[in-house]
Amino acid sequence: MTKQKFVKIYCLSLTIPFSLLVFPLFSIANRETPFIIGLPFSVFWVIFWIVVTFIIVLFLYKIDPDKDEKEVH
Amino acid sequence: MAQWQIAMIMMIGYLVVALFIGVLAGRNQDKSSLEEFTTAKGNLGLFVMWFLMGGAVFSAFSFLGAPGWAFSRGAPALYIITYTAFAILPWYIIGPKIGAIGRKHNIYTVAGFLQLRYSSRVIAMIIGIVALLASIQYLATQMKGMAYIFNIMTEGRIPFWLGALLSYGIVVVYVATGGLRAAAWSDVFQGILMIVISWTVGLTIVNQLHDSVPNMFRNLTQDNPGFLQIGAEGSTMSTMAYTTTILVSTIGFLMWPHLFSKSYATKARTIKKTVLVYPMFALFLIPLLFVGFSAVNVIQSDQIGSPDEILPYLITTVLTLPGWVYGLVGAGALAAAMSTADAITHSASLEFTDGLIRNVKRDLSKKATLLIMRIGVFVIGGLAYFITVFGGQGLIALLLGAYGSIVQFAPGVYGALYSKKITAPAVITGLISGTVVNYYFQLVAESTPLDINPGILGLIVNVGLVVLISAFTQGKEMPMAEEYRKIGS
Repeated sequence: MTKQKFVKIYCLSLTIPFSLLVFPLFSIANRETPFIIGLPFSVFWVIFWIVVTFIIVLFLYKIDPDKDEKEVH
Repeated sequence: MAQWQIAMIMMIGYLVVALFIGVLAGRNQDKSSLEEFTTAKGNLGLFVMWFLMGGAVFSAFSFLGAPGWAFSRGAPALYIITYTAFAILPWYIIGPKIGAIGRKHNIYTVAGFLQLRYSSRVIAMIIGIVALLASIQYLATQMKGMAYIFNIMTEGRIPFWLGALLSYGIVVVYVATGGLRAAAWSDVFQGILMIVISWTVGLTIVNQLHDSVPNMFRNLTQDNPGFLQIGAEGSTMSTMAYTTTILVSTIGFLMWPHLFSKSYATKARTIKKTVLVYPMFALFLIPLLFVGFSAVNVIQSDQIGSPDEILPYLITTVLTLPGWVYGLVGAGALAAAMSTADAITHSASLEFTDGLIRNVKRDLSKKATLLIMRIGVFVIGGLAYFITVFGGQGLIALLLGAYGSIVQFAPGVYGALYSKKITAPAVITGLISGTVVNYYFQLVAESTPLDINPGILGLIVNVGLVVLISAFTQGKEMPMAEEYRKIGS
Protein backbone atom coordinates (compact mmCIF):
# COMPACT_ATOMS: atom_id res chain seq x y z
CA MET A 1 0.00 0.00 0.00
CA THR A 2 1.33 3.43 -0.85
CA LYS A 3 1.44 6.26 1.60
CA GLN A 4 -1.11 8.35 -0.28
CA LYS A 5 -3.53 5.48 -0.19
CA PHE A 6 -3.04 5.05 3.52
CA VAL A 7 -3.74 8.75 4.12
CA LYS A 8 -6.99 8.40 2.20
CA ILE A 9 -8.06 5.35 4.17
CA TYR A 10 -7.10 7.10 7.39
CA CYS A 11 -9.16 10.20 6.68
CA LEU A 12 -12.20 8.34 5.40
CA SER A 13 -12.41 5.77 8.15
CA LEU A 14 -12.23 8.41 10.87
CA THR A 15 -14.67 10.80 9.24
CA ILE A 16 -17.35 8.15 9.65
CA PRO A 17 -17.42 7.99 13.47
CA PHE A 18 -16.94 11.76 13.66
CA SER A 19 -19.95 12.46 11.48
CA LEU A 20 -22.06 10.16 13.65
CA LEU A 21 -21.35 12.41 16.61
CA VAL A 22 -22.32 15.73 15.02
CA PHE A 23 -25.57 16.83 13.44
CA PRO A 24 -27.34 15.94 11.19
CA LEU A 25 -26.41 12.29 11.88
CA PHE A 26 -26.29 12.71 15.64
CA SER A 27 -30.09 13.12 15.48
CA ILE A 28 -30.29 9.30 15.48
CA ALA A 29 -28.94 9.26 19.01
CA ASN A 30 -30.08 12.59 20.38
CA ARG A 31 -32.49 11.20 22.96
CA GLU A 32 -32.60 10.02 26.53
CA THR A 33 -34.09 6.53 26.18
CA PRO A 34 -33.47 3.64 26.02
CA PHE A 35 -30.95 3.43 28.82
CA ILE A 36 -27.97 1.23 27.97
CA ILE A 37 -25.68 0.00 30.75
CA GLY A 38 -27.26 2.63 32.96
CA LEU A 39 -26.52 5.53 30.62
CA PRO A 40 -28.97 7.63 28.64
CA PHE A 41 -28.83 6.75 24.95
CA SER A 42 -27.08 9.97 23.85
CA VAL A 43 -24.33 9.60 26.47
CA PHE A 44 -23.87 5.93 25.65
CA TRP A 45 -23.71 6.70 21.91
CA VAL A 46 -20.92 9.24 22.31
CA ILE A 47 -18.85 6.96 24.55
CA PHE A 48 -19.47 3.97 22.30
CA TRP A 49 -18.20 5.73 19.16
CA ILE A 50 -15.17 7.10 20.92
CA VAL A 51 -14.24 3.54 21.91
CA VAL A 52 -14.83 2.41 18.31
CA THR A 53 -12.64 5.28 17.09
CA PHE A 54 -9.91 4.11 19.43
CA ILE A 55 -10.11 0.63 17.92
CA ILE A 56 -10.10 2.02 14.37
CA VAL A 57 -6.95 4.05 15.04
CA LEU A 58 -5.25 0.97 16.53
CA PHE A 59 -6.07 -0.93 13.36
CA LEU A 60 -4.89 1.93 11.13
CA TYR A 61 -1.59 2.03 12.95
CA LYS A 62 -1.20 -1.70 12.35
CA ILE A 63 -1.64 -1.33 8.58
CA ASP A 64 0.40 1.89 8.33
CA PRO A 65 3.03 1.08 5.64
CA ASP A 66 5.56 3.63 6.91
CA LYS A 67 5.44 4.01 10.68
CA ASP A 68 8.80 5.73 10.99
CA GLU A 69 8.65 7.99 7.94
CA LYS A 70 12.37 7.71 7.22
CA GLU A 71 13.60 11.08 6.17
CA VAL A 72 15.51 11.69 2.98
CA HIS A 73 18.06 14.43 3.36
CA MET B 1 -6.51 19.48 62.65
CA ALA B 2 -9.16 21.40 60.74
CA GLN B 3 -10.07 20.24 57.24
CA TRP B 4 -8.74 23.33 55.55
CA GLN B 5 -5.38 22.79 57.24
CA ILE B 6 -5.12 19.24 55.89
CA ALA B 7 -6.10 20.54 52.47
CA MET B 8 -3.57 23.34 52.59
CA ILE B 9 -0.74 21.04 53.64
CA MET B 10 -1.55 18.62 50.85
CA MET B 11 -1.69 21.34 48.22
CA ILE B 12 1.57 22.91 49.35
CA GLY B 13 3.11 19.45 49.45
CA TYR B 14 1.94 18.93 45.88
CA LEU B 15 3.48 22.23 44.78
CA VAL B 16 6.81 21.25 46.33
CA VAL B 17 6.81 17.90 44.49
CA ALA B 18 5.85 19.63 41.22
CA LEU B 19 8.70 22.11 41.56
CA PHE B 20 11.11 19.32 42.43
CA ILE B 21 10.18 17.21 39.40
CA GLY B 22 10.26 20.18 37.06
CA VAL B 23 13.67 21.36 38.15
CA LEU B 24 15.07 17.82 38.31
CA ALA B 25 13.96 17.02 34.76
CA GLY B 26 15.94 19.94 33.40
CA ARG B 27 19.06 19.00 35.38
CA ASN B 28 22.08 17.52 33.57
CA GLN B 29 20.80 18.91 30.28
CA ASP B 30 22.76 21.39 28.26
CA LYS B 31 21.63 24.71 29.67
CA SER B 32 23.15 26.77 26.90
CA SER B 33 21.45 24.89 24.09
CA LEU B 34 18.65 26.58 22.18
CA GLU B 35 17.54 23.21 20.77
CA GLU B 36 17.23 21.71 24.24
CA PHE B 37 15.16 24.63 25.51
CA THR B 38 12.82 24.77 22.52
CA THR B 39 12.28 21.14 21.50
CA ALA B 40 14.18 19.02 24.05
CA LYS B 41 16.52 18.18 21.13
CA GLY B 42 13.66 16.39 19.38
CA ASN B 43 14.01 13.24 21.46
CA LEU B 44 11.14 13.10 23.94
CA GLY B 45 9.89 9.56 24.53
CA LEU B 46 6.42 8.13 24.11
CA PHE B 47 5.37 8.11 27.76
CA VAL B 48 6.31 11.75 28.27
CA MET B 49 4.77 12.80 24.97
CA TRP B 50 1.53 11.17 25.93
CA PHE B 51 1.16 13.35 28.97
CA LEU B 52 2.59 16.44 27.37
CA MET B 53 -0.23 16.35 24.84
CA GLY B 54 -2.65 15.10 27.48
CA GLY B 55 -1.84 18.08 29.67
CA ALA B 56 -3.67 20.16 27.10
CA VAL B 57 -6.86 18.24 27.77
CA PHE B 58 -6.52 18.30 31.52
CA SER B 59 -6.77 22.00 32.06
CA ALA B 60 -8.58 24.11 34.58
CA PHE B 61 -11.33 24.15 31.98
CA SER B 62 -11.84 20.40 32.11
CA PHE B 63 -11.54 20.16 35.87
CA LEU B 64 -13.82 23.05 36.75
CA GLY B 65 -15.47 23.94 33.44
CA ALA B 66 -16.62 20.46 32.36
CA PRO B 67 -18.65 19.84 35.52
CA GLY B 68 -19.94 23.40 35.17
CA TRP B 69 -21.13 22.79 31.60
CA ALA B 70 -22.79 19.51 32.55
CA PHE B 71 -24.50 21.14 35.50
CA SER B 72 -25.76 24.24 33.75
CA ARG B 73 -26.23 23.05 30.16
CA GLY B 74 -26.78 19.28 30.17
CA ALA B 75 -26.17 17.27 27.00
CA PRO B 76 -24.18 20.00 25.17
CA ALA B 77 -21.38 19.18 27.63
CA LEU B 78 -20.85 16.03 25.54
CA TYR B 79 -19.12 18.29 23.04
CA ILE B 80 -16.10 18.32 25.35
CA ILE B 81 -15.39 14.59 25.12
CA THR B 82 -16.30 14.46 21.44
CA TYR B 83 -13.83 17.11 20.35
CA THR B 84 -11.14 15.82 22.72
CA ALA B 85 -11.33 12.38 21.12
CA PHE B 86 -11.16 13.64 17.54
CA ALA B 87 -9.12 16.85 17.58
CA ILE B 88 -5.77 15.06 17.81
CA LEU B 89 -6.40 12.61 14.94
CA PRO B 90 -5.11 14.83 12.09
CA TRP B 91 -1.78 14.95 13.94
CA TYR B 92 -1.08 11.38 12.85
CA ILE B 93 -0.78 12.65 9.29
CA ILE B 94 0.45 16.23 9.66
CA GLY B 95 2.65 15.83 12.77
CA PRO B 96 5.43 13.74 11.18
CA LYS B 97 5.37 16.02 8.12
CA ILE B 98 5.71 19.19 10.20
CA GLY B 99 8.44 17.50 12.24
CA ALA B 100 10.42 16.55 9.14
CA ILE B 101 10.21 20.08 7.72
CA GLY B 102 11.19 21.51 11.10
CA ARG B 103 14.24 19.29 11.52
CA LYS B 104 15.47 20.01 8.04
CA HIS B 105 15.24 23.78 8.44
CA ASN B 106 15.72 24.24 12.18
CA ILE B 107 12.21 25.46 12.88
CA TYR B 108 10.60 25.24 16.29
CA THR B 109 7.51 27.47 16.10
CA VAL B 110 4.34 28.04 14.08
CA ALA B 111 5.64 31.51 13.17
CA GLY B 112 8.89 30.11 11.81
CA PHE B 113 7.03 27.38 9.93
CA LEU B 114 4.82 29.84 8.06
CA GLN B 115 7.51 32.46 7.57
CA LEU B 116 9.75 30.08 5.63
CA ARG B 117 6.98 28.65 3.45
CA TYR B 118 5.44 31.98 2.49
CA SER B 119 8.71 33.97 2.50
CA SER B 120 6.91 36.52 4.60
CA ARG B 121 8.07 38.24 7.76
CA VAL B 122 4.68 39.87 8.17
CA ILE B 123 2.98 36.49 8.68
CA ALA B 124 5.48 35.54 11.37
CA MET B 125 4.99 38.84 13.15
CA ILE B 126 1.20 38.53 13.14
CA ILE B 127 1.42 34.97 14.45
CA GLY B 128 3.85 36.07 17.16
CA ILE B 129 1.52 38.78 18.41
CA VAL B 130 -1.71 36.78 18.18
CA ALA B 131 -0.09 33.80 19.90
CA LEU B 132 1.13 36.01 22.71
CA LEU B 133 -2.25 37.65 23.34
CA ALA B 134 -4.17 34.38 23.06
CA SER B 135 -1.75 32.63 25.40
CA ILE B 136 -2.10 35.33 28.02
CA GLN B 137 -5.86 34.91 27.92
CA TYR B 138 -5.47 31.14 28.22
CA LEU B 139 -3.05 31.55 31.10
CA ALA B 140 -5.32 33.98 32.90
CA THR B 141 -8.12 31.38 32.84
CA GLN B 142 -5.81 28.71 34.23
CA MET B 143 -4.51 31.02 36.89
CA LYS B 144 -8.00 32.02 37.97
CA GLY B 145 -8.71 28.32 38.37
CA MET B 146 -5.62 27.78 40.52
CA ALA B 147 -6.22 30.81 42.70
CA TYR B 148 -9.86 29.98 43.09
CA ILE B 149 -9.20 26.43 44.15
CA PHE B 150 -6.62 27.52 46.71
CA ASN B 151 -9.06 30.05 48.08
CA ILE B 152 -12.07 27.80 48.43
CA MET B 153 -10.25 24.71 49.68
CA THR B 154 -8.60 26.65 52.49
CA GLU B 155 -11.95 28.29 53.26
CA GLY B 156 -10.72 31.71 52.23
CA ARG B 157 -7.47 31.70 54.16
CA ILE B 158 -5.21 31.93 51.15
CA PRO B 159 -6.25 35.03 49.23
CA PHE B 160 -6.71 35.06 45.48
CA TRP B 161 -3.50 36.94 44.67
CA LEU B 162 -1.35 34.65 46.80
CA GLY B 163 -2.79 31.40 45.44
CA ALA B 164 -2.13 32.52 41.87
CA LEU B 165 1.35 33.74 42.74
CA LEU B 166 2.37 30.54 44.54
CA SER B 167 1.19 28.04 41.96
CA TYR B 168 2.07 29.95 38.83
CA GLY B 169 5.35 31.18 40.26
CA ILE B 170 6.47 27.57 40.46
CA VAL B 171 5.52 26.96 36.84
CA VAL B 172 7.52 29.97 35.70
CA VAL B 173 10.59 28.81 37.62
CA TYR B 174 10.75 25.33 36.19
CA VAL B 175 9.89 26.37 32.65
CA ALA B 176 12.51 29.11 32.59
CA THR B 177 15.21 26.78 33.87
CA GLY B 178 14.34 23.44 32.27
CA GLY B 179 12.47 24.43 29.09
CA LEU B 180 10.31 21.89 27.32
CA ARG B 181 11.74 18.85 29.11
CA ALA B 182 10.80 20.24 32.53
CA ALA B 183 7.28 21.02 31.37
CA ALA B 184 6.98 17.52 29.94
CA TRP B 185 8.02 15.63 33.07
CA SER B 186 5.85 17.79 35.30
CA ASP B 187 2.95 16.97 33.02
CA VAL B 188 3.46 13.25 33.54
CA PHE B 189 3.12 13.61 37.29
CA GLN B 190 0.25 16.07 37.02
CA GLY B 191 -1.61 14.02 34.43
CA ILE B 192 -1.55 10.82 36.47
CA LEU B 193 -2.66 12.69 39.57
CA MET B 194 -5.56 14.26 37.77
CA ILE B 195 -6.85 11.04 36.21
CA VAL B 196 -6.81 9.23 39.54
CA ILE B 197 -8.54 12.09 41.31
CA SER B 198 -11.25 12.69 38.74
CA TRP B 199 -12.29 9.03 38.85
CA THR B 200 -12.18 8.46 42.60
CA VAL B 201 -13.64 11.76 43.70
CA GLY B 202 -16.05 12.01 40.77
CA LEU B 203 -17.64 8.65 41.38
CA THR B 204 -17.70 9.22 45.15
CA ILE B 205 -19.75 12.36 44.64
CA VAL B 206 -22.21 10.64 42.30
CA ASN B 207 -22.67 7.76 44.74
CA GLN B 208 -23.20 10.03 47.73
CA LEU B 209 -25.83 12.10 45.97
CA HIS B 210 -27.66 9.45 43.94
CA ASP B 211 -26.42 6.00 45.07
CA SER B 212 -25.28 5.08 41.55
CA VAL B 213 -24.72 6.42 38.04
CA PRO B 214 -27.85 4.81 36.52
CA ASN B 215 -29.89 6.18 39.40
CA MET B 216 -28.54 9.64 38.82
CA PHE B 217 -29.53 9.56 35.15
CA ARG B 218 -32.98 8.15 35.99
CA ASN B 219 -33.60 11.04 38.40
CA LEU B 220 -32.29 13.53 35.89
CA THR B 221 -34.40 12.39 32.94
CA GLN B 222 -37.50 12.20 35.13
CA ASP B 223 -37.15 15.68 36.61
CA ASN B 224 -35.66 17.51 33.64
CA PRO B 225 -36.93 16.05 30.38
CA GLY B 226 -35.02 17.56 27.45
CA PHE B 227 -31.94 18.33 29.53
CA LEU B 228 -30.02 15.47 27.93
CA GLN B 229 -31.27 16.20 24.45
CA ILE B 230 -29.64 18.81 22.25
CA GLY B 231 -31.92 21.30 20.56
CA ALA B 232 -35.05 19.94 22.25
CA GLU B 233 -37.58 21.95 24.24
CA GLY B 234 -35.77 22.92 27.44
CA SER B 235 -32.34 22.40 25.92
CA THR B 236 -29.66 25.05 26.27
CA MET B 237 -28.05 24.72 22.85
CA SER B 238 -29.24 24.39 19.26
CA THR B 239 -28.07 21.55 17.04
CA MET B 240 -26.20 23.97 14.75
CA ALA B 241 -24.38 25.61 17.64
CA TYR B 242 -23.45 22.17 19.01
CA THR B 243 -22.05 20.91 15.71
CA THR B 244 -20.11 24.06 14.85
CA THR B 245 -18.69 24.31 18.36
CA ILE B 246 -17.29 20.79 17.99
CA LEU B 247 -15.94 21.67 14.54
CA VAL B 248 -14.21 24.85 15.64
CA SER B 249 -12.64 23.14 18.64
CA THR B 250 -11.51 20.18 16.56
CA ILE B 251 -9.92 22.31 13.84
CA GLY B 252 -8.45 24.83 16.26
CA PHE B 253 -6.89 22.35 18.68
CA LEU B 254 -3.71 21.56 16.73
CA MET B 255 -3.28 25.19 15.70
CA TRP B 256 -2.40 26.11 19.27
CA PRO B 257 1.34 26.76 19.14
CA HIS B 258 2.06 24.66 22.22
CA LEU B 259 0.56 21.60 20.53
CA PHE B 260 1.64 22.31 16.96
CA SER B 261 5.26 22.72 18.01
CA LYS B 262 5.36 19.34 19.73
CA SER B 263 5.68 17.91 16.22
CA TYR B 264 9.30 19.08 16.33
CA ALA B 265 9.98 17.50 19.70
CA THR B 266 9.80 13.83 18.79
CA LYS B 267 9.98 11.14 16.11
CA ALA B 268 7.22 10.14 13.68
CA ARG B 269 6.58 6.85 15.44
CA THR B 270 6.12 8.55 18.80
CA ILE B 271 3.67 11.04 17.32
CA LYS B 272 1.62 8.19 15.90
CA LYS B 273 1.60 6.25 19.13
CA THR B 274 0.56 9.38 20.99
CA VAL B 275 -2.41 9.82 18.68
CA LEU B 276 -3.22 6.16 19.16
CA VAL B 277 -4.01 6.40 22.84
CA TYR B 278 -5.47 9.87 22.81
CA PRO B 279 -9.17 9.06 22.37
CA MET B 280 -8.88 7.34 25.74
CA PHE B 281 -7.99 10.67 27.33
CA ALA B 282 -11.43 11.87 26.34
CA LEU B 283 -12.98 9.04 28.30
CA PHE B 284 -10.98 9.99 31.39
CA LEU B 285 -13.07 13.15 31.53
CA ILE B 286 -16.38 11.31 31.86
CA PRO B 287 -16.59 11.31 35.67
CA LEU B 288 -16.15 15.08 35.63
CA LEU B 289 -19.28 15.38 33.49
CA PHE B 290 -21.10 13.03 35.84
CA VAL B 291 -20.27 15.31 38.76
CA GLY B 292 -22.00 18.15 36.97
CA PHE B 293 -25.06 16.05 36.11
CA SER B 294 -25.31 14.81 39.67
CA ALA B 295 -25.66 18.33 41.06
CA VAL B 296 -28.71 19.20 38.94
CA ASN B 297 -31.78 19.57 41.19
CA VAL B 298 -29.54 19.11 44.23
CA ILE B 299 -27.97 22.55 43.96
CA GLN B 300 -29.86 25.60 42.72
CA SER B 301 -27.83 27.64 40.29
CA ASP B 302 -28.24 30.80 42.37
CA GLN B 303 -26.45 29.12 45.27
CA ILE B 304 -23.14 29.38 43.46
CA GLY B 305 -21.43 32.33 41.78
CA SER B 306 -20.84 30.62 38.44
CA PRO B 307 -21.36 27.06 37.16
CA ASP B 308 -17.59 26.52 37.21
CA GLU B 309 -17.70 26.49 40.98
CA ILE B 310 -19.89 23.42 41.15
CA LEU B 311 -17.19 20.82 41.88
CA PRO B 312 -15.47 22.67 44.74
CA TYR B 313 -18.86 23.80 46.06
CA LEU B 314 -20.12 20.22 46.23
CA ILE B 315 -17.03 19.10 48.08
CA THR B 316 -16.81 21.88 50.62
CA THR B 317 -20.45 22.60 51.41
CA VAL B 318 -22.80 19.84 50.32
CA LEU B 319 -21.01 16.60 50.96
CA THR B 320 -19.49 15.28 54.11
CA LEU B 321 -16.08 14.35 52.86
CA PRO B 322 -12.90 14.06 54.90
CA GLY B 323 -10.25 16.79 54.73
CA TRP B 324 -7.86 14.74 52.62
CA VAL B 325 -10.41 14.71 49.82
CA TYR B 326 -10.33 18.52 49.88
CA GLY B 327 -6.58 18.30 49.56
CA LEU B 328 -6.74 15.76 46.73
CA VAL B 329 -9.18 17.80 44.69
CA GLY B 330 -7.16 20.91 45.33
CA ALA B 331 -3.99 19.20 44.16
CA GLY B 332 -5.77 17.71 41.15
CA ALA B 333 -7.11 21.07 40.03
CA LEU B 334 -3.74 22.70 40.53
CA ALA B 335 -2.16 19.89 38.52
CA ALA B 336 -4.64 20.38 35.72
CA ALA B 337 -4.10 24.10 35.55
CA MET B 338 -0.33 23.93 35.93
CA SER B 339 0.24 21.26 33.31
CA THR B 340 -1.52 23.48 30.80
CA ALA B 341 0.06 26.69 32.02
CA ASP B 342 3.64 25.42 31.69
CA ALA B 343 3.26 24.38 28.05
CA ILE B 344 1.48 27.62 27.14
CA THR B 345 4.01 29.85 28.86
CA HIS B 346 6.84 28.02 27.14
CA SER B 347 5.34 28.26 23.65
CA ALA B 348 4.14 31.84 24.03
CA SER B 349 7.68 32.90 24.76
CA LEU B 350 8.99 30.92 21.78
CA GLU B 351 6.42 32.24 19.31
CA PHE B 352 6.83 35.84 20.34
CA THR B 353 10.62 35.70 20.26
CA ASP B 354 10.81 33.79 17.00
CA GLY B 355 7.90 35.53 15.27
CA LEU B 356 8.29 39.13 16.33
CA ILE B 357 11.59 39.89 18.02
CA ARG B 358 13.79 37.98 15.58
CA ASN B 359 12.10 39.71 12.68
CA VAL B 360 12.46 43.17 14.15
CA LYS B 361 16.06 42.65 15.20
CA ARG B 362 17.40 40.23 12.66
CA ASP B 363 20.97 39.59 13.72
CA LEU B 364 20.31 37.86 17.05
CA SER B 365 22.74 35.12 18.00
CA LYS B 366 21.48 31.78 19.29
CA LYS B 367 22.70 32.69 22.73
CA ALA B 368 20.83 35.99 22.77
CA THR B 369 17.68 34.28 21.44
CA LEU B 370 17.79 31.73 24.23
CA LEU B 371 18.25 34.46 26.82
CA ILE B 372 15.31 36.45 25.46
CA MET B 373 13.16 33.30 25.57
CA ARG B 374 14.04 32.66 29.19
CA ILE B 375 13.31 36.27 30.15
CA GLY B 376 10.13 36.04 28.06
CA VAL B 377 8.86 33.28 30.34
CA PHE B 378 9.03 35.66 33.30
CA VAL B 379 7.56 38.61 31.40
CA ILE B 380 4.63 36.60 30.05
CA GLY B 381 4.10 35.08 33.47
CA GLY B 382 4.04 38.53 35.02
CA LEU B 383 1.64 39.94 32.42
CA ALA B 384 -0.79 37.06 32.82
CA TYR B 385 -0.59 37.38 36.58
CA PHE B 386 -1.45 41.07 36.59
CA ILE B 387 -4.34 40.56 34.22
CA THR B 388 -5.69 37.76 36.39
CA VAL B 389 -5.42 39.71 39.61
CA PHE B 390 -6.32 43.19 38.42
CA GLY B 391 -8.45 42.49 35.34
CA GLY B 392 -9.32 45.38 33.05
CA GLN B 393 -12.33 45.09 30.77
CA GLY B 394 -10.95 46.50 27.53
CA LEU B 395 -7.87 44.37 27.77
CA ILE B 396 -9.87 41.24 28.45
CA ALA B 397 -11.97 41.80 25.32
CA LEU B 398 -8.78 42.11 23.27
CA LEU B 399 -7.39 38.89 24.71
CA LEU B 400 -10.65 37.02 24.16
CA GLY B 401 -10.55 38.12 20.54
CA ALA B 402 -7.03 36.74 20.15
CA TYR B 403 -8.01 33.51 21.87
CA GLY B 404 -10.80 32.96 19.36
CA SER B 405 -8.53 33.65 16.41
CA ILE B 406 -6.07 30.77 16.87
CA VAL B 407 -8.29 28.59 14.68
CA GLN B 408 -7.78 31.16 11.89
CA PHE B 409 -4.20 29.87 11.50
CA ALA B 410 -5.62 26.70 9.95
CA PRO B 411 -5.90 27.75 6.28
CA GLY B 412 -2.31 29.03 6.29
CA VAL B 413 -1.00 25.86 7.92
CA TYR B 414 -2.88 23.37 5.75
CA GLY B 415 -2.14 25.50 2.70
CA ALA B 416 1.57 25.31 3.52
CA LEU B 417 1.43 21.54 3.93
CA TYR B 418 -0.67 20.54 0.96
CA SER B 419 -0.72 23.25 -1.68
CA LYS B 420 1.93 25.13 -3.59
CA LYS B 421 -0.54 27.69 -4.87
CA ILE B 422 -1.42 29.49 -1.65
CA THR B 423 0.36 32.83 -1.37
CA ALA B 424 1.41 35.14 1.45
CA PRO B 425 -0.98 38.05 0.71
CA ALA B 426 -3.85 35.55 0.61
CA VAL B 427 -2.96 34.05 3.99
CA ILE B 428 -2.48 37.46 5.61
CA THR B 429 -5.79 38.84 4.31
CA GLY B 430 -7.62 35.65 5.25
CA LEU B 431 -6.13 35.57 8.73
CA ILE B 432 -6.97 39.19 9.49
CA SER B 433 -10.49 39.04 8.00
CA GLY B 434 -11.27 35.79 9.77
CA THR B 435 -10.10 37.26 13.04
CA VAL B 436 -12.22 40.39 12.57
CA VAL B 437 -15.34 38.38 11.68
CA ASN B 438 -14.84 36.11 14.67
CA TYR B 439 -14.25 39.09 16.94
CA TYR B 440 -17.38 40.86 15.71
CA PHE B 441 -19.71 37.91 16.18
CA GLN B 442 -18.15 36.82 19.43
CA LEU B 443 -18.02 40.11 21.26
CA VAL B 444 -20.08 42.72 19.41
CA ALA B 445 -23.07 41.14 17.70
CA GLU B 446 -25.99 39.83 19.74
CA SER B 447 -26.39 36.63 17.79
CA THR B 448 -24.90 34.85 14.79
CA PRO B 449 -26.54 33.80 11.51
CA LEU B 450 -28.16 30.36 11.89
CA ASP B 451 -26.56 30.12 15.34
CA ILE B 452 -23.24 29.12 13.74
CA ASN B 453 -20.17 29.41 15.96
CA PRO B 454 -18.32 32.74 15.38
CA GLY B 455 -15.03 30.92 14.80
CA ILE B 456 -16.56 28.91 11.95
CA LEU B 457 -18.01 32.08 10.39
CA GLY B 458 -14.54 33.59 10.50
CA LEU B 459 -13.08 30.45 9.01
CA ILE B 460 -15.55 30.47 6.10
CA VAL B 461 -14.55 34.04 5.22
CA ASN B 462 -10.89 33.19 5.79
CA VAL B 463 -10.84 30.13 3.50
CA GLY B 464 -12.85 31.95 0.82
CA LEU B 465 -10.39 34.83 0.75
CA VAL B 466 -7.33 32.56 0.81
CA VAL B 467 -8.53 30.65 -2.24
CA LEU B 468 -9.66 33.75 -4.10
CA ILE B 469 -6.64 35.95 -3.47
CA SER B 470 -4.19 33.10 -4.12
CA ALA B 471 -5.65 32.81 -7.59
CA PHE B 472 -4.85 36.46 -8.32
CA THR B 473 -1.43 36.73 -6.72
CA GLN B 474 0.44 33.92 -8.45
CA GLY B 475 3.81 34.76 -9.87
CA LYS B 476 6.04 35.70 -7.00
CA GLU B 477 8.61 32.97 -6.41
CA MET B 478 8.00 30.80 -3.37
CA PRO B 479 11.06 28.56 -3.26
CA MET B 480 9.81 26.50 -0.33
CA ALA B 481 6.29 25.81 -1.59
CA GLU B 482 7.14 22.67 -3.53
CA GLU B 483 9.47 21.34 -0.85
CA TYR B 484 6.88 21.74 1.95
CA ARG B 485 4.35 19.87 -0.14
CA LYS B 486 6.74 17.04 -0.96
CA ILE B 487 8.40 16.35 2.38
CA GLY B 488 6.80 13.40 4.11
CA SER B 489 4.10 12.67 1.57
